[in-house]
Amino acid sequence: MERNEKMQQPSAREEILQKLKAAPKQSVSPRPEIPLLSELAMTQEEMIHRFTERLVEETGIVYRVPNNQEALEKLAEIARAEGLKKVMVSTDDVVAALDLPAWGKKYDVIIMTPKDFPHRESFRDAVFNEVQAGITGADFAVAESGTLGLIHNKDQARLVSLAPILHIAIVPVERMNPIYERVVDRVFDNPQTFPSQFIFITGPSMTGDIQGVLFKGMHGPRKVIVILVG
Amino acid sequence: MKNVSLFIPCTVDLFLPHIGEATVTLLRRLGINSIYHEEQTCCGQPAINAGYQQAAQKAAKHFIKVFGEDDQVVSPSGSCVGMVKYHYPELFENEPEWRRRAEELAPRMFELAQYLVDVLKAEDVGASFAGKVAYHESCHILRGLGVSEQPKKLIGNVPGTQLVPLNAAESCCGFGGEFANNFPDISESMVKDKVENYLSSGADLLLLGEPGCLLNIGGFLSRNHPRKKAMHLASFLAHNGKEGR
Amino acid sequence: MEIQTEQFTAAVKRELQNSHSRAFLKLMPPVLNMKRDIGLSTFPDIDAAQAYGAAIRQEAMARLPELLEEFEKNALANGAKVFWARDAKEANAYILHLAKEREIKYVTKGKSMVTEETGLNEVLHKNGVEPWETDLGEFIAQQLHRPPFHIVGPAINVPVEEVRDLFMAKANLKEPTLDPVQLGYAARLFLRDKFHHVQMGITGVNIAVAATGTIINVENEGNIRLTKSSPKIQVSVMSLEKVVPTIKDALHLIRLLSRNCTGQKLTAYVSMDSGPKKKDEIDGPEELFIVIIDNGRTKIYQDLKARDALRCIRCAACLNICPVYGQIGGYAYGWAYSGPMGQVLNPLLLGLDRTQDLYRTTTLCGACKSVCPVGINHPSMFLYYRARDVLGDPYWRGKKRSGSEERFFQAWGSAVTRAWLWNLGIRMVRPLINKDAHEGVISKMKGPFHGWFRTRDLPAMAEKTFHDRWKEMKKCNNPVPAKRYSKN
Repeated sequence: MERNEKMQQPSAREEILQKLKAAPKQSVSPRPEIPLLSELAMTQEEMIHRFTERLVEETGIVYRVPNNQEALEKLAEIARAEGLKKVMVSTDDVVAALDLPAWGKKYDVIIMTPKDFPHRESFRDAVFNEVQAGITGADFAVAESGTLGLIHNKDQARLVSLAPILHIAIVPVERMNPIYERVVDRVFDNPQTFPSQFIFITGPSMTGDIQGVLFKGMHGPRKVIVILVG
Repeated sequence: MKNVSLFIPCTVDLFLPHIGEATVTLLRRLGINSIYHEEQTCCGQPAINAGYQQAAQKAAKHFIKVFGEDDQVVSPSGSCVGMVKYHYPELFENEPEWRRRAEELAPRMFELAQYLVDVLKAEDVGASFAGKVAYHESCHILRGLGVSEQPKKLIGNVPGTQLVPLNAAESCCGFGGEFANNFPDISESMVKDKVENYLSSGADLLLLGEPGCLLNIGGFLSRNHPRKKAMHLASFLAHNGKEGR
Repeated sequence: MEIQTEQFTAAVKRELQNSHSRAFLKLMPPVLNMKRDIGLSTFPDIDAAQAYGAAIRQEAMARLPELLEEFEKNALANGAKVFWARDAKEANAYILHLAKEREIKYVTKGKSMVTEETGLNEVLHKNGVEPWETDLGEFIAQQLHRPPFHIVGPAINVPVEEVRDLFMAKANLKEPTLDPVQLGYAARLFLRDKFHHVQMGITGVNIAVAATGTIINVENEGNIRLTKSSPKIQVSVMSLEKVVPTIKDALHLIRLLSRNCTGQKLTAYVSMDSGPKKKDEIDGPEELFIVIIDNGRTKIYQDLKARDALRCIRCAACLNICPVYGQIGGYAYGWAYSGPMGQVLNPLLLGLDRTQDLYRTTTLCGACKSVCPVGINHPSMFLYYRARDVLGDPYWRGKKRSGSEERFFQAWGSAVTRAWLWNLGIRMVRPLINKDAHEGVISKMKGPFHGWFRTRDLPAMAEKTFHDRWKEMKKCNNPVPAKRYSKN
């Protein structure tokens, strides 16, 4: 089956491409000029401010702390306020630098990571049913819309920021960018290192599908808390 | 006196000739002499809308012959002007000579308010009125020609007139030519909303620049709210808000 | 999805009487339009931003075959598998076969309009693979067996009472409630179980990027992310026009899409997949199948005018601004696509004969064209379809019109070039038109004009047309004679 799938039905593929190629040709219109987005002229402080403004508009909660130590203290506050007993955390470089297992022992919060699980099924069970929050770092933050950019890989499992009802993201301020293009320039610069999935997250999940009434927390997290560090 | 060529759409010619007369009166007041080519018939809109391109091409060629040598052509209608400016070149995709002639005529075509403000630079046209008016932004004038400030400027400069806001002023009234008769349920729903917005605006009079809209809105008012009036801008400016016949 | 485009008139009558839909349509589109204006205001020059979007999609269509080849090459290099399907049958069969082979009992689905075109859900269901729509609106519409009311909010018009009853019957809702938030939470719990155990997920594709072989989905709910991340198998279905050259092009379009659709700067989630998961990742699909569907698009592509319809990015801005949609809502359009973009696309996919009313139910007001972020000229498309229909164009299945209409326009075409004949015709027709006129007003007329006169009057045709009056005015006070027109 495997080999067949790649070259499945060459006739359908060939037929479609042939028809498209045989069609009347069109020349490509030149791209019009567009003014640059205002975020491109921002200083880092301005970007941080814009990021916060935008994310708060989407009911995200944003804290800013000067260093990792205070980040951990803020995290403890959050854990208390949210009644967190068990959380799933990524093993990305930001989170790794915080030593959450030690923090967890101190504040009586059980810390699980995807690496604790031998296979995907048991990880999936845990992240869906057993934890009250997912804690991740972020590879990028984008001021334009209060957005986080996460590269998914072995240290950034997808379900950590998705399945639990609360997502806490810790973001060093140096990772702040003005607009999306700056971010994807780096994520997609080398085909050898394209991530299997790259994601932009802007606030909690939401819907307005019942009579247009907007609410947060549809299938993904209901609450997003970002701790900006630096 | 300067001359301008008058293009009178068939809706005006047949059902609302007083709008044509008002246009002539208004222009004369501003020192413009109207020329009316008696050979004119129709711009072809009904044929284009119904999909009869051959018939439409006939109308278009006749139109270009009749008006082709005029310096400026003015009409109290946006849809007809738009038809000539934007659809004629498309119509002659495969006839380069006619296409060229259509393209040459296009910049010389003007809707009335556009002509008064942009070409004649007229501000005060010598009208006066005591009361509140609302302005309906006809689709072909607003979106088709990009004309909106001009009529409102003219209205605003009439002493005694207060231009009041109209809810959903830019929303279509539901005329659309044959649409009004072929899809009456929807058309009625649309004109009903337009009239409700007029009634709740507090205006004494509803002004507009498109004869089709006038037939539609005016026709609905006549049947359902006979005391409320809609009026073409030309009539309003020429006769101080009183309908001439 | 069942095609009901030929029941348009009956559907319109019904929908105009649906007071709940009407109330909703008075409220929702204006709110969305306002949000759109606010969202777009972040562009320093909105028109330029929209024009740029149009240029991206123009290029994408002009270079379609080469971009699709480039996309496929890069997607394969990323480790994805690519299947090309000529039509609904091939696409559905392939996906069903895959599901059966992998012993899949059910799938979770992210919203995919092309799979509504192909009727994938029914094929899966009939063959023992249960498809669960997971976008809340699609879920409700699916359970109620209703077509979508709005391409972004498919069940947004359904009253809460109905949703409550539905959820009590089918979604484990224990306590009755009319609170949309509580109802939403019930749906979350119900569908969460599906996400937790799902083995195969099916999504659509918003944008496919040629340069990197990446597929992109935008959403607010998280159901697409879950559908991509939880199971071992991901199938993503794209109609072939979804491709764009570069990832930056994609991002510009996503900005436009988010702002035009709901006024958001960005939807809550934008997920970009470049192949299946890597070996050392613990979640995500082990296999990613991308299905590229034609289903009538290569046919559209042959016609340079129709081709522009393929630019559409499904933002629904045209639905929200359309005065006709604002009266009748989505059901009447009779198929997967509604509003002006449905009026542009359905005739090309289904044939002009099956969609006679769709491209005529418009006043050509141009509001749709004025908001479109990819520069589609809807009114021009409608006129084009009518012209093709009148000619009985076999390519587009034009039907031709009635003999009497054709004869009318033939006569009209003769008269319009001869002023004497034109004016003679007017004189002859006047007494017929004015037969029932009373004091200069016509309130009824025999013949095919019943639609107008139901609620409207018409001024009587003037005894003296402007043409006639001019002749008199000329004598009195206009010394400049009209020029004879040139014969050529």
